[in-house]
Amino acid sequence: MSKPVILCVEDEVEVRDALLRDIQPFAQAFKIDEAEDAADARDAVTQCLQADRKLALVLCDHLLPGETGVSFLVSLNEDPKTRSTRKVLVTGQAGLEDTVKAVNDAGLDHYVAKPWTKESLQEVVTRQLTDYVIEHVDDLLPYVSVLDGARLLEAVKHRGRHE
Amino acid sequence: MTKGRYIGLASAIVLFFLPWFVEFPGLPVEGHRVLGIFLAAIALWITEAVPLHATAVIIILAEILLVSDKGILSAPEGFEPPSFRLFFGTLADPVLMLFLGGFFLAHGAAKFALDRNLARVLLRPFGTSAPMILLGLIIITAVFSMFMSNTATTATMMAVVLPVMSTLPPGDRMRTGLALCIPIAANIGGMGTPIGTPPNAIAIGALARDGISIDFLQWMLMAVPFVLVILAFTWVIMRQLYRFNGKRIELSIESTFDTSIPAKVFYVTFAATIVLWLTTKMHGMSSSIVGFVPVVVLLSTRVFSPKDLQSLQWHVLWLVAGGIALGVGVGRCGLDAWLIGLVEWNSLSSTMIVAALALTALVLSTVISNSATANLIVPLAMTLAASDGIAVDPMVAAVFVAIGCSLAMALPISTPPNAVAVATGAVRTRDMALVGIVAGSMGLGLFLFAGQWYWALVGVLR
Repeated sequence: MSKPVILCVEDEVEVRDALLRDIQPFAQAFKIDEAEDAADARDAVTQCLQADRKLALVLCDHLLPGETGVSFLVSLNEDPKTRSTRKVLVTGQAGLEDTVKAVNDAGLDHYVAKPWTKESLQEVVTRQLTDYVIEHVDDLLPYVSVLDGARLLEAVKHRGRHE
Repeated sequence: MTKGRYIGLASAIVLFFLPWFVEFPGLPVEGHRVLGIFLAAIALWITEAVPLHATAVIIILAEILLVSDKGILSAPEGFEPPSFRLFFGTLADPVLMLFLGGFFLAHGAAKFALDRNLARVLLRPFGTSAPMILLGLIIITAVFSMFMSNTATTATMMAVVLPVMSTLPPGDRMRTGLALCIPIAANIGGMGTPIGTPPNAIAIGALARDGISIDFLQWMLMAVPFVLVILAFTWVIMRQLYRFNGKRIELSIESTFDTSIPAKVFYVTFAATIVLWLTTKMHGMSSSIVGFVPVVVLLSTRVFSPKDLQSLQWHVLWLVAGGIALGVGVGRCGLDAWLIGLVEWNSLSSTMIVAALALTALVLSTVISNSATANLIVPLAMTLAASDGIAVDPMVAAVFVAIGCSLAMALPISTPPNAVAVATGAVRTRDMALVGIVAGSMGLGLFLFAGQWYWALVGVLR
């Protein structure tokens, strides 16, 4: 099975690099893609789905050149193929109105305020990805050492493999 | 679909039709039909071209269509085809009801977190000395896996040790030891009761068809002493190998038992079922009838909802049913006698025959599923034991095959508990192969050396 994808959408190169560096531990079990704006991100999503990979998580900045992050997340939520993708906003500049829109219309799963700490970001990503794989992936074992092992093992208990 | 699956499917189809084109002297026509089914089952169970439980239902349907009274082909001359009900009936074989009872108890234990809490409480007396913790983990895992599936037990116990594993430095041998002792103990513990693991049920089901019944307590009496010796041996080598001696481990042992009314109903049902299983001699209800008691109680009291009922692992039961159906077909159509006639068994001693059966089971189930192995080998073992001139007791033959299946734990693919341990990242295949082969061959040797003698001693074997 090909690895599910984590997509990082961020226009500022240094910030994107910091984001990618902090989620590097997840690369063991996930393919990490990057995009600099919504259009670029949409291409990445199309490619991911065409390659028959699951889009597990999108970490998305709000203020991007052109279309905003929230608007991109709303479009992901409206497409049945990406509705179950976990959606996290990583931003410092989303106003109340946009944030409300993200929660109500984009099915936002988490809001990470900039600047983030490595530990808290990894915790959020771990929780979101653990939720995602329990819900959408058959074989959980490849994720036990990367994500929340205890929760995954609890789920394995109910999967019932033939001994 | 992968290439391996195509090959599996193609060879299953070729093997299925082979006996239709090649005539084997001495084998009746109906035997040819079942031989095709048997060969195709081997191919499908080894390659997993279709899921294991799908192979089981294929066998049942194929037997109904080819050798039952409702078949689509006319029955060969002189062959009295068995009722199709016999084959459908394997899906509700008494031994499956026994297992269903076990599933209810295991599902409830997980639902009310009884397993997790009990594990922590039971670990307390073992203190903080590392070798004692290792012993505690081994014993508790083994006892749990006697009543829950080996895989569920491993998942439960691994969750107990994961936090402490993460505090140990990556190179620490104890990390490997902690993650490895659990699947090994779960595989060994699974031998301990009739519901410990599907191969036990397959052996019991096959014996019951020949009128030989083993009750819950008898099985435990036969297996548990051996389980304990193998566990003790495993403990001694693992504490050395993974440098537990002289160290300390702090496990989190906090527990909060669910005290809601449904949880309490479940606890009582659980305890009562086990007591009933152990006292068959006093009340006369067989293990499979007792197994149906928690089903009735937990559904009537609404402790189990329809959702709980749906989430049980029915596919595991159906796989066992497929094995039973295969045994029925092989026995009813004269394939058994013909197969046995192929070899000069009289030249082999009974010990050698039993050893060969157990070893074949061990080797095969190292690479394929234990249940599938038992499904394929138990019918052959039973036939062998029933034929003239061979002094092998059917019970010995069937139980040794079941044990051989459980002792196969050398590779990550040997059994799901092993796969769970490797998934933690702390166990390499090398570690698993070493401990798995040493404990497995020691266990097999012990059973071969002392099994029949001890079973006769405790009066299970006449």
